[in-house]
Parts: sequence; C-alpha cells; structure tokens
Amino acid sequence: MAGFEILDPTVEPRKQPLTYVPRPGSLKGKRIGLVENTKFNSDRLLQKIGDILKTEYGAAETKMWRKHNSSVPAHDEIIDEAKRGVDVVVAGIGD
Amino acid sequence: MPAMSAALTSTRYPVDDLTQAIELCYEKGWTDGLPVIPPTESRVGAMLDAAGLEPGAQVAFITNRQVAVTAEKVAINAVMAGCLPEYMPIVVAAVDGIAEPKWGYHGPGTSTGGAAVLMIVNGPIAARLGFNSGDNLFGPGWRANATVGRAVRLVMRNVIGTLPGRLDRATVGHPGKYTYVIAENEVDSPWAPLHAERGFTPEQSTVTVMSAEGPRQFYNQLSNTPEGILATLCDDMVHHNSTGAQPQYVVVLAGEHMRTIAAAGWSKADIRKYVFDHTQNSLAHIKRTQRLAGPVKPEDETTLRSLVAGPEDILVVAAGGRAGAFSCYIPGWGGGRRSSESVTKLIRDRRA
Repeated sequence: MAGFEILDPTVEPRKQPLTYVPRPGSLKGKRIGLVENTKFNSDRLLQKIGDILKTEYGAAETKMWRKHNSSVPAHDEIIDEAKRGVDVVVAGIGD
Repeated sequence: MPAMSAALTSTRYPVDDLTQAIELCYEKGWTDGLPVIPPTESRVGAMLDAAGLEPGAQVAFITNRQVAVTAEKVAINAVMAGCLPEYMPIVVAAVDGIAEPKWGYHGPGTSTGGAAVLMIVNGPIAARLGFNSGDNLFGPGWRANATVGRAVRLVMRNVIGTLPGRLDRATVGHPGKYTYVIAENEVDSPWAPLHAERGFTPEQSTVTVMSAEGPRQFYNQLSNTPEGILATLCDDMVHHNSTGAQPQYVVVLAGEHMRTIAAAGWSKADIRKYVFDHTQNSLAHIKRTQRLAGPVKPEDETTLRSLVAGPEDILVVAAGGRAGAFSCYIPGWGGGRRSSESVTKLIRDRRA
C-alpha cells in the first residue's frame, strides 16, 4: 500500500483574551457576594467565610445566591445582580 | 476526488500504510480506545457530499467551550468511527442537538454524574439505513447503531475537548459512552412514535438526544395487564431517584410488554400517567435512605415527591426483542431536566 495522508480530527480552542478585574487592596467596606452551588453544606461553608471576611477583614455585608445546579454556570440573574450589587464574589464547592 | 475535498483545511499527516495510520491516531490521542478508520481526504469528502455540507459549514457552536464545530471536523470523526457516508446527516443532527442551550452541554459533558448521549432514531431513515430497534437493542452487531454514536463521542472528544480525566470528569461513566443509539420499532409498535409526539410528522426522520445513565432492565413474566407490568417497572424506578434532581426518563417497552399493554388499549400518555403516579417517594423515605439531610418529621411520611417534574418527562419508546419478558428504563443525567433536557432534531437532507 502506498503512503497517504490522514486529516487531523481535532481543533484548537479559539484564543480568547481573559482579563481579571484588579483585586482590591483591602476588603474594608466591600460588599461580598457568595455563590452557593447547591451541594450539601456549601451554603454553611460560604456563610462562614463571609462572616470571617466581615469580622476579621472589615467587609461591609454579604449576599448569597444559589445556582440552579452544581454542574451549570451561575445563571444570568446572579451575574446581573452581582455586577450591580457587590464588589467581590466568592464561589466554592461544599463537599 | 470529491468536489469538496479541495477546501479541506485540517492539518495533514503523512503515513506509510494502514497500520501506521491507525497507530498514529492512537499516539495522538484521537481514539476512544478502539482502532479507527484513517480519515483520508477522499473518505472525508464522501462523507461531506452525502450530507450536502461544505467543509466550513458550522454544524454547532458549543457556548461554554467557545468551539465552533464544522462539518469538516464532524466528517473526519465520522470516518474514524466507521460510519458510512449516508449516516452523516444523523451525526450532524445529533451534534446540533447536544449544542442546544436546553441540552446544556457543559453539565452532562463534564459532570462526575457520568452521562452518555442516548440517541433515539425515528422515522423512515431508521429502517432504510439499518438501525436496530429489535433483538439485543443496546448490544453490538449493527453498524449504524455502533458507528453513529461513536462518531458523536469522537466529536465530543476531539472537537469539543471532552477528554476523560480532563474535562470529562465522570466518576464511573458507563459503556454507553462508546455508543448509545437505538431506533424505535415503528413497524410493530401500536403507538405514535416518539418524534410524532414531539411535533414531527411520522414521515420525517429525527434523532432525539438525551443525556443519560445506563439502561436498567426489569423483568415481569407474570402479569398480563398494563398495571401489573408497570407496577414492577415503577418499583424499580422509584428507588432509583439518584440525585433527586428530577431528570427525564426513557421507558423502553419491548415486544411482549408492548403487546400486553397495547392490547388493553393503553396509549403512551396512559403509560406516562401511570408511571408518574406510581413513582412518588415520601420525603421520609428520601431522608431515611440518606438522600436528603435532616430529621424525619411526622408530616414527611405523607409528603410525596415525584421522580420527574411531570408525566411529559417520561419518554416512552417501543423497542427491543419480540420475545422475552424484559423491558428497561433509562434515567437522565442526575443534574436534572432543568439543567439538561432532551432535544429532538430533524435529520435533514441538504443535498441539492
């Protein structure tokens, strides 16, 4: 059998610039958003973190949202409200 | 040389012979563990021609991965899977289906829950291309069933980046992730086929994609009534209740059960209602079996939670061997219907 060529079945993901918002120098007076992913105890864990951020780091307040499911991204309402109402967001898994 | 092949833009790798081509695909990490057919220009061109698609045509866009799936890449993977060119429109429709926002690719594609893509083919194309809808329904032996599902999985792997152990983090997964394709037995079925219930005409051909766990078989050779057979089914289903997130379920009724239930005059809607009504768990049971946290309260004994959100989330399909008192049900991915819903797509003939 003579030589031949085969075609690459893969693609390279499209390059996207990702820019992070600069981290605040201090959490003093900042509004903290907590994104809970529905796993057992994730709400308790995040609330505890939120409380520490208030008592030890001077954050002003916390607000928690609950995702529809742990395997899906935060839905639009969470993103919209977080953009408007908080300065910092904490998300995490609770199991 | 096929007309469209000049426009193929994928990187080319020279090989000396067939064995080297197969081994190169392994080395590159392009296979599902089984050998593949080397994707040559002429084979890929034939696949595109059969579907009436230009190589650069976008078949789907996977939002969370920001990946455009082109016809050329689908065709290459379909060749590798062993598809005949005439299967290509079905692979295209299935890939289009899993890219639908309501199918929610990111969840079932990535989740530890280990879902596969269950594909149910309906309409005239199923018999024309030899899709199995009978004996050994989920088993090996039929090229169309084996290769169409495999092609979709290879697209997920090679184009979308759903690599086991990396972006695909299934804890246990299941063999349906190699291929998971059935057709409905529309010839023997007394009922409206699935696609006709979902807005298509019986003369159209469709593929329904659902993120799904493996099939679970049940046995009932005792009863000659719908209630008797479905009581056994529901007793199995009600204890499944994996994550409690109310996914969709497929109920596959094979020959004997299908005939018994239909002979009593039951429709698919009757089956759905019975199954919905008889797969309710008490909150107390869910708590006692450690699927929900918290102490069991007296009122939990009489508070019922349904397995699915509504009867319409039970997809009834007539398929499987004519003989034998077995049928099965298939739970949807544990993320639930709100995170991933089944999609039915028209299989289009785009050839001019």
